[in-house]
Amino acid sequence: MRSRFALAAVAGIAAAGLVLTGCSGTSGGTSTASSGKIDGTGKTLDVMIAANSLYPTQQQQWFKDVSAQFQKETGATVKFETFASANDELTKIQTSVLSGQGPDIYDLGTTFTPTAYSTGAFVKLSDADWAKVGGRDRFVPATLGISGPDKSNEVGIPFLSRPFVLAYNKDLLKAAGIDKPADTWDGLAEQAKKLTSGDVHGMAVAYADSFDPWKFVWAMAMQQGNTILDVKSKKATIDDAAVKKAYETYFGWLTDDKVVDPAAIGWKNAQAVAAFASGKAAFLPMVSSSSQVSLDKSPVAGKYAYAVMPTVPPGATKLPSDGKAAATIISGDNMVVAKYSKNQDLAFALVKMLTSTDNQVKYTKTFGDLPTNADAAKQIEQGNDLIAPILEAGTKAYGTPFTGAWGDTQLALVNVVVQSIPGLSAGKVSSSDLEAKLKAAQETAQNSLNKAK
Amino acid sequence: MSNSTMTPPAGVVTTGASPAGSAPAGGRPGRRRRGERNRPLWMLLPGGILMLLIIVVPLVVAVLMSTLDLDQYTLQSWLQAPFIGLGNYVEAITASPLLRSIGISVSFAVIAAVVTMPIGLAAALATQNRFRGRALVRSLFLIPYVLPAFVVGTLWRTMLQPGGVVDSMLGAVGIHSGLWLNGPLSYWSLIIVQIWTSWPFFYLLVLAGLQSVDHEVHEAAAIDGATWWIKLRYVVLPYLRGPILLALIIAFLHNINAFTLPFVLFGVPAPQDVEVLPVVTYMTSFQSFRFGLSAAMAICSLILIAIPLFVYLRAVKLDSGEEEQR
Repeated sequence: MRSRFALAAVAGIAAAGLVLTGCSGTSGGTSTASSGKIDGTGKTLDVMIAANSLYPTQQQQWFKDVSAQFQKETGATVKFETFASANDELTKIQTSVLSGQGPDIYDLGTTFTPTAYSTGAFVKLSDADWAKVGGRDRFVPATLGISGPDKSNEVGIPFLSRPFVLAYNKDLLKAAGIDKPADTWDGLAEQAKKLTSGDVHGMAVAYADSFDPWKFVWAMAMQQGNTILDVKSKKATIDDAAVKKAYETYFGWLTDDKVVDPAAIGWKNAQAVAAFASGKAAFLPMVSSSSQVSLDKSPVAGKYAYAVMPTVPPGATKLPSDGKAAATIISGDNMVVAKYSKNQDLAFALVKMLTSTDNQVKYTKTFGDLPTNADAAKQIEQGNDLIAPILEAGTKAYGTPFTGAWGDTQLALVNVVVQSIPGLSAGKVSSSDLEAKLKAAQETAQNSLNKAK
Repeated sequence: MSNSTMTPPAGVVTTGASPAGSAPAGGRPGRRRRGERNRPLWMLLPGGILMLLIIVVPLVVAVLMSTLDLDQYTLQSWLQAPFIGLGNYVEAITASPLLRSIGISVSFAVIAAVVTMPIGLAAALATQNRFRGRALVRSLFLIPYVLPAFVVGTLWRTMLQPGGVVDSMLGAVGIHSGLWLNGPLSYWSLIIVQIWTSWPFFYLLVLAGLQSVDHEVHEAAAIDGATWWIKLRYVVLPYLRGPILLALIIAFLHNINAFTLPFVLFGVPAPQDVEVLPVVTYMTSFQSFRFGLSAAMAICSLILIAIPLFVYLRAVKLDSGEEEQR
């Protein structure tokens, strides 16, 4: 009996110890405010970045090069840690946030930036901080759109840009007498109908992808003036005709226009790219510049081009007055500096180095992702017809609503598609069915928005 | 264990007895008390501390988390997250897919466990007698079980997708089944794939059970002229009752905890027919960042799992102290 008490006591002490460690951990993190040239001799910066599955060896080399250059400039070295998926990254952020120690810099996906911001674990950039990274005005303005809720509360420093565009098969279009993709969604669907014959379809769309669907719906809703979430008034607007129209158009390509391969209800993005790459689809909407890698090795190499996706909403011939010509979400990576980092100035110096014109141009040439540095973007654009439309799309990019509720909302938007797949397979998603699903999504998004701080 | 649990011969009692032990009536209880006192219980401490750190502390933290309104906004100083008592549990039960997913998970786990039983049993019986190539067949049987769940998931996902191998094979014989990875059939896809990957577990346990059937029993049955069915029904199966029950319970627990397979097979958000408990908990935690709510869900599923676990512990008599009494 006594021994049981002893064990219980040990349990209590151990638990209390752990809890206290947790407490003390979060209070750490001071900034080393200093002026003038940064001396980081003997220090090591820890950077968390997504593993590049397309160019793994080049990425390793890039890590070494960056560290060497940074050591030359400041005396400090850089240690890179990679994560394979957003979940890996989130786990790392959670542990770091809780323990108050971990990487100094995180490289985040743009749509994840609001969630990261809402944890309050990252440095909000003051004017002085922006100066430390080379000035806010060195960046392509549109890429700053998802750095924070407003200009005075920004945490994300744009590092690379990955706007979404439409890829099209030049040969198929030429054969059908079409000189370029339409700039309205209705026009695009009409062209796609002309381009569909036999086993070649007008469009390749990944209905079963976990991310693609919401980007379509968001863009079409934005163009009709519906931002999905109104952060200021804390209102979700999914339960609305504009959003319904967006879904109907997205589903209609398959069920009414019949310009998509019926198998596409099971496709992830990679399968849609594969269908386009094998010449079985004329249009491939919602791809980034990284698709170049697989397309250049495919039968359509040299036969494809990119174009900005339509910015005129479905059912319209021109942009409505309250509509926003959203060509793509602001997509790419932002860098954030952890509040707990003891080397914040050094971290800003590294970001400054990585977003310099030379380094950004070099990065684009190696990895295909586009620069966020305005000068670098200009340099890349010159004489590159393939990339030019992607850069153009980048300048027409809009940020998704900057709130911690966006993650849930995005999921709810995709969920509407996931739960509609049986209907799509049967050939029709009924209006009432869609409305019921939108209502459920609206509720999820609104609940999440109510909790947002 | 200690000698107090045995019934030692009278001689031993007297020789080992201290003055107190010489009292004829009170001798035994006295010995027991002192025996307990002399047990070096402190030696359990390393194991105890490990158990504490690995099981008790996380459990306590999970229970604590389940009472907090812990999300992305409060994560940074999570102990200061607002205490909401049973709020998360109420939300989990009334305003989340938890109850539905419990229904899906339990029925899926039961069906998959029950169906794998005859398959595993038949496979074990088929490979019990020596024949040429038995070792090879036995190893082949294990393949589905040793494949990692994400490989199984990817493999079946590819086969079951619209226009995939399964569709074209069924189409060739005139069956147009419809969607496998979404809609009502997805539930059965999950069960089929889980059965495919988990039946060798049953097979292994039954095979081990078969080794315990005495050779003489087989011989006696043969001499009595028992047919194979009589032999199986009245001779072999009674021996296998224990292993089969054990396998059923463990298989049920495996199935109800299966995360990787449904996650890879259907992705997230999951179609509503296959929103199993682990996937819902995961989504709540890592996609919606409602850590408190998901902790409440996890506690609910822990309770759910504890029920068969309790039955299991009774079945193998680990908790009843029966061994001690023997």
